Amino acid sequence: MRQWVLLHYRVPPSPSARRVYVWRKLKNLGAILLHDSVWVLPDTAWTYEQFQWLVTEIADVHGEAMLWQAHLTLPGQEQTLINRFLAASEREYEPLWQALQQDAPDLSALSRQFQEVRRRDYFACSLGQQIYDALTRAREE
Amino acid sequence: MQWVTWETVGIDRMASAWLIVRHIDPDAEFAFLPKQAAPPAPAGAELFDIPGVRLSHRRGHCTFHTILREYGIQDPILERLARLVDEADTIQEVSLEAAAVGLDWVCRGLRKICRDDAEALRKGYSIFDGLYAYLGDEKGL
Repeated sequence: MRQWVLLHYRVPPSPSARRVYVWRKLKNLGAILLHDSVWVLPDTAWTYEQFQWLVTEIADVHGEAMLWQAHLTLPGQEQTLINRFLAASEREYEPLWQALQQDAPDLSALSRQFQEVRRRDYFACSLGQQIYDALTRAREE
Repeated sequence: MQWVTWETVGIDRMASAWLIVRHIDPDAEFAFLPKQAAPPAPAGAELFDIPGVRLSHRRGHCTFHTILREYGIQDPILERLARLVDEADTIQEVSLEAAAVGLDWVCRGLRKICRDDAEALRKGYSIFDGLYAYLGDEKGL
């Protein structure tokens, strides 16, 4: 059974820049917000550490955060959650894929954006591999 | 002096140990606590890279960066290295150092092939000695 890391937190409403800072960091990590309350990531040494440091940053701005390790126990729920991560990556890859179909795409910019999305594509969605292959081919043409 | 951190070191702690040995305490001895152990702060020992201690992540920066500040070390090459470690170890919105990801992977892999954390820190010294030498003469002018 797969293990997940869960973070839920509260940051004082003002100044709002702090709330935005935390929220952007969570989006940047590719964490998924469940039911407007808990952020989840697959548990790896790396994701655990990122959440761990985010907890200390939240405490620094007088917020409260709790970090959990958990697994889903009901049949099918784990796959449902994995599918949400896959769908989130696919949504991020989609515009890159579209851009690659155009005439003379900016390969340099696209490959940088690709690396950014791949960093948080935890379950290696198939569109990511397609883009990787397309970029490799484009370079050789 | 004894310097204590959690086990299973990565780039930030490898770089920090190198910084300590080269710039703060040439006779430093390192000891490792089980991950997530509450720090007991042994007498005369300094803890680092553990949430909540003096030498740890601060304001979104890595421990290496904090140690530079805490010890008032001023060296533009070390500042650049701190930027690299920041980008390798944490999510940064601005990423300027293309080498950061590679450096992170090398450090993670190095830990995997070492018997223990002490060996990983020792072997890591060569990486950061080399990087320091390179950054000091990056363009070879």
